[in-house]
Amino acid sequence: MEITITGANELTYPTLHIWNWMVSLYLFLGGVTAGLLIMSAIGNLRARNLRTEEKIDVIKAAMFAPFVLMAGMFFIWLDLERKLNSYWFFLSFSFTSPMSWGGWGLGLILPLSMLYALSVVPEEYRHWLKFDFLKNLSRWLNPHMTALARTVFALGIFLGIYTGILLSVFVARPLWNSSLLPVLFLTSALSTGAALIIIISKKKAAQLFFTKVDIWLISAEIIIIALFFLGHLTSTAPQRESVMPFFSYSHEYFVFGLSFILIAFFFPLALVMKLMHVQEEHHEQISGGSLFRMKLSAYMVLAGGFIIRLAWVYVGQISKLS
Amino acid sequence: MPRYAMVIDQRRCVGCMACVAACKTENNVPLGSFRTRVVEVVGGEFPNLRMELRSELCNHCENPPCAYNCPTGASYKESDGTVQIKRYKCVGCKACIAACPYEARYIDDKGVADKCSFCEHRIKQGKEPACVATCLGGSRIFGDLDDPNSPVSKILSEVGSSVLLKEAGTNPKVFYIRKLSKLE
Repeated sequence: MEITITGANELTYPTLHIWNWMVSLYLFLGGVTAGLLIMSAIGNLRARNLRTEEKIDVIKAAMFAPFVLMAGMFFIWLDLERKLNSYWFFLSFSFTSPMSWGGWGLGLILPLSMLYALSVVPEEYRHWLKFDFLKNLSRWLNPHMTALARTVFALGIFLGIYTGILLSVFVARPLWNSSLLPVLFLTSALSTGAALIIIISKKKAAQLFFTKVDIWLISAEIIIIALFFLGHLTSTAPQRESVMPFFSYSHEYFVFGLSFILIAFFFPLALVMKLMHVQEEHHEQISGGSLFRMKLSAYMVLAGGFIIRLAWVYVGQISKLS
Repeated sequence: MPRYAMVIDQRRCVGCMACVAACKTENNVPLGSFRTRVVEVVGGEFPNLRMELRSELCNHCENPPCAYNCPTGASYKESDGTVQIKRYKCVGCKACIAACPYEARYIDDKGVADKCSFCEHRIKQGKEPACVATCLGGSRIFGDLDDPNSPVSKILSEVGSSVLLKEAGTNPKVFYIRKLSKLE
């Protein structure tokens, strides 16, 4: 029976199961890390001379970044079929392979983001570090914070773009094969990074600042998504077909149609909630209802960012040139 | 060095699937996976239907996107023009599977992204690939493109041929002579 081949099934086309949610989660967490690094680098560079209490949120963001990245790297490692062979990523380099660039990039970003996180730990909080060598390293790195912040800013942009380029280079997958995808993923990375800072932040000034930043980023994201679909719908037949699962509500594509509805629901709603929030009069502390709306909109941005990666990874595998 | 290629003469294919069985036996292809397959494509509108039997396999492209996207160099272009795999280097990242427009790859039971090798081990012994050797209709033809006297060069010079997904820019080295098609 096995040699009776009819064509369109999982046995004949194993590509229907190339990458799963673990890759989507890695792309999402990589994007969040990129956003955290960029936002915290800007924050720490701008707030160099402020008191610790005033810049505590961007310090926290810098300390979150390596942990989020490690979680992402754990999931991409889980997706490897030959996990014990993963050292080969660092014994070879292929100029034409974005995954090779990414492997080396992550190998550089992870330690540098750790050093950056240590460099921003203020004197009065250093006793929280468990080991003496970490305290000493943090003390030694502190004067180099500016250089490290500039480095992780550049590496954050690399990481944000890379997660999109990883997919966009595949000519065989018309949905992914667009130069807008890295731009979309970078914008989404910045937006989710800002959203996470809003969630972990306790300071009104920081919450309002990153809410204003996120308004611009969400607006850009909505425009880029619209242009992405417009570009595909007006392109060649395979590209046009590749976006159709987002607009089909048949049983096999329903989940992709639903993802499009959620994206089309979350981002505009989050945008409106954020606009309402920044236009309100705020006292010393943000009121309960307003704070709830602000955090809810930030969670919506995070959910939207994850849904984008999830939907794009799956729908891209269905798309074909023929 | 030779530049190996395969010609699929669809006029001679009877859909017996002997090539699929020979390939699976020769290369120990695991259950549920295939290095080659015979796809039945039905075209036209009833009652004017026509069925095409099309053998598909790795196209051993001149510009192989699988090798270009492989992060460790496990997939590479051999000097004889074929695309091969260094199994010990494969991490199973599946980038090559995503990159291949011909859907020629699969993950085998060891986690390696495997595919047709043109039966590299047989070519080195001067034999034809197993699918070619077993093809009773003579539909599969194998040889060196740079040798004008090879079976592939001869038939390609005589009959018009086409490749799959030419627009992908991969320059495949599996050529198709289509049944009932007009000469190009």
